[in-house]
Amino acid sequence: MSESRRDDMLARIREAVGGNRRSEEDLAQLEKRLTQPSAAPRPRVSDDRLGQFIAKAEANLITVERIASLQMLVPAVRALLSQTSAPPDISVAPALEHLGWPADWHVNIGAGRRKEPMSVTMAVAGIAETGSIVMRSDPTSPTTLNFLPDVHVIVLRASDVVDYPEDAWARVRAGAPGWPRTVNIISGPSRTADVGGIIVRPAHGPKSVHLLLCHD
Amino acid sequence: MQIKDGNFSTRASEALADASLQKSVSNLKRGFVAARARAVAALPEYEAMREAGAAIKDHTLDNLDFYLERYEREVVRQGGHVHWAADADEACRIVRQICTRAGAKSVVKGKSMVSEEIGLNEALEADGLEVVESDAGEYIVQLAKEAPSHIVMPTVHKTTDDIADLFYKHHRAHGFDERETDPAELIGQVRSILRDKYFAADIGITGANFLVAETGSNIIVTNEGNGDLTSTLARVHIVTAGIEKVVPTLNDAAVLLRLLARSALGMEITSYTTLSTGPRRPGDADGPDEYHVVLIDNGRTKMLAGTFRPMLRCIRCGACMNHCPVYMSVGGHAYGWVYPGPMGAVLTPMIAGHEKASELPHACTLNGRCQQVCPVKIPLPDLLRRLRHDQWEAGFIKSKVRWGIGLWAWLATHPALYRVSTRIGVAVLRLFGKSSGRLTRLPFAGGWTAGRDMPAPQGTTFHAAWAKRNPQR
Repeated sequence: MSESRRDDMLARIREAVGGNRRSEEDLAQLEKRLTQPSAAPRPRVSDDRLGQFIAKAEANLITVERIASLQMLVPAVRALLSQTSAPPDISVAPALEHLGWPADWHVNIGAGRRKEPMSVTMAVAGIAETGSIVMRSDPTSPTTLNFLPDVHVIVLRASDVVDYPEDAWARVRAGAPGWPRTVNIISGPSRTADVGGIIVRPAHGPKSVHLLLCHD
Repeated sequence: MQIKDGNFSTRASEALADASLQKSVSNLKRGFVAARARAVAALPEYEAMREAGAAIKDHTLDNLDFYLERYEREVVRQGGHVHWAADADEACRIVRQICTRAGAKSVVKGKSMVSEEIGLNEALEADGLEVVESDAGEYIVQLAKEAPSHIVMPTVHKTTDDIADLFYKHHRAHGFDERETDPAELIGQVRSILRDKYFAADIGITGANFLVAETGSNIIVTNEGNGDLTSTLARVHIVTAGIEKVVPTLNDAAVLLRLLARSALGMEITSYTTLSTGPRRPGDADGPDEYHVVLIDNGRTKMLAGTFRPMLRCIRCGACMNHCPVYMSVGGHAYGWVYPGPMGAVLTPMIAGHEKASELPHACTLNGRCQQVCPVKIPLPDLLRRLRHDQWEAGFIKSKVRWGIGLWAWLATHPALYRVSTRIGVAVLRLFGKSSGRLTRLPFAGGWTAGRDMPAPQGTTFHAAWAKRNPQR
């Protein structure tokens, strides 16, 4: 069915742009362009990359807390939990499973749930230009944990903060072979202004995003 | 979505008389325009970024066949499927077939303008599928059985009270018995209802702000997180995208993303920028089992081939309408279709045909602000002028207007006659406006003088005054 439809459509596009007249050299140029670094102008990033990253993240309403090492993660999460009598019920990305979560907590290791009070996940990069956090999906990092919780807690190594998104792609590729199914660049809590132009948080995603910036 | 035939002027008059609409539009316009101006002023590099953005789009369009093929190759390599649709009917048929094969009953949608362009919701509902829009604004207009009136803010025309009434009427079925007027409560209802829909959905449909040839990814930007949940939780993820959405590399997308958020909302970046590439990978705990992309032409190759190619640079930011005095006076619905404002005045006749939108290119004062703020420097006023010309050539201009302009052209090319008739005209107008210096009524211009007086001419004609000032000529 679709083969001839595809070919016809592509042929019309090729004719419209004169693609038939492309020389071997033109093609080589196009191939080359696909692998060249970007030369486009972009906003300047301060020499204090980490300082700018934190300031921009906070301007995006992401709360930022510094921890000395991953061993401090569980106490940091404990401090974020509301002081109720019920035992905590959270979801944790498999990447962070081994960190010694208290036995009396309910800890779901895996994908997000319909009702999700809090999730704890691991980012692959931070972007200083915009104060954004980059998440990649893989078996140890389910995407739903980024969108279903009321409170999204993200762990990021300070050494993974880069200047630009253009620098972050390499970090996305570094974790595992190939490009992942999902990359989420998160720059604040979920919000909408679709009712009366008034900003409301949250819309469909987390009400708050808390970043634990890890310095080891 | 069905295009409302003709009669922009009637709908515009109704919009001008609609006090509620006028209030909603005026409340929002200052916010958009000021926020964009601040974001742009904060960046000394902005003008150079705009040049770079336009150049990326031009380069891609000049080689569109190459980049579409490369994009397709990468999607397939990642386990996805690419479908090619020449027009709206074909695109709808492809999506319906995917739904049928999947045995689907329910569809959740992220925001996709092209899906509205091809009338996808109606097509799927005709097959008995439940279709729910997940973007809060799109959800509201879907519930109200209306069309979006802005491509970024679909509910610009609706007040909080309108939405309170709407939800009170429809949400009792979901257990919300009170009439709420607090925006946070109203959005909370949408969040709660949609949460169940995401989990139940067989099919998740999103649009694409960009398609990346380098990786075979589609990129969506949202503030709500709705498109992101849609594309992750449904069993099957379908992306509907115009063929002009492809860009060569991730880095090219980064350049355009910087322009998009600033131009659309005056922000550096939206809350979520999500790249989806193929179906879930082995071992992944979530993500769809199937990933399909429907590449839609629907009149775009026609634009690509001719003088309208620059229109395909459009990244759907909405800045042109936010800065358009006509859009800001009449709102989006007067334009009669999916795309309002200056970009719509070009796209609607190009996609749907001149005969369906003959008035739109004239709903423009040619003040040029749209071009000044366009992040990819589309010469919108030139394209609108070009459309007027094409309409004239094709005979789509009303005979009364043709006759009037023809008479004017004839008179203007006969200088002696022109001078005599303008001299007579000036004398007659002066005579009628003698007592007050104003004319309260004019033949053929009753609409104009109904709201204001015409000042009576002072002195002689321009030609006579000019000749007097420059006697040597």
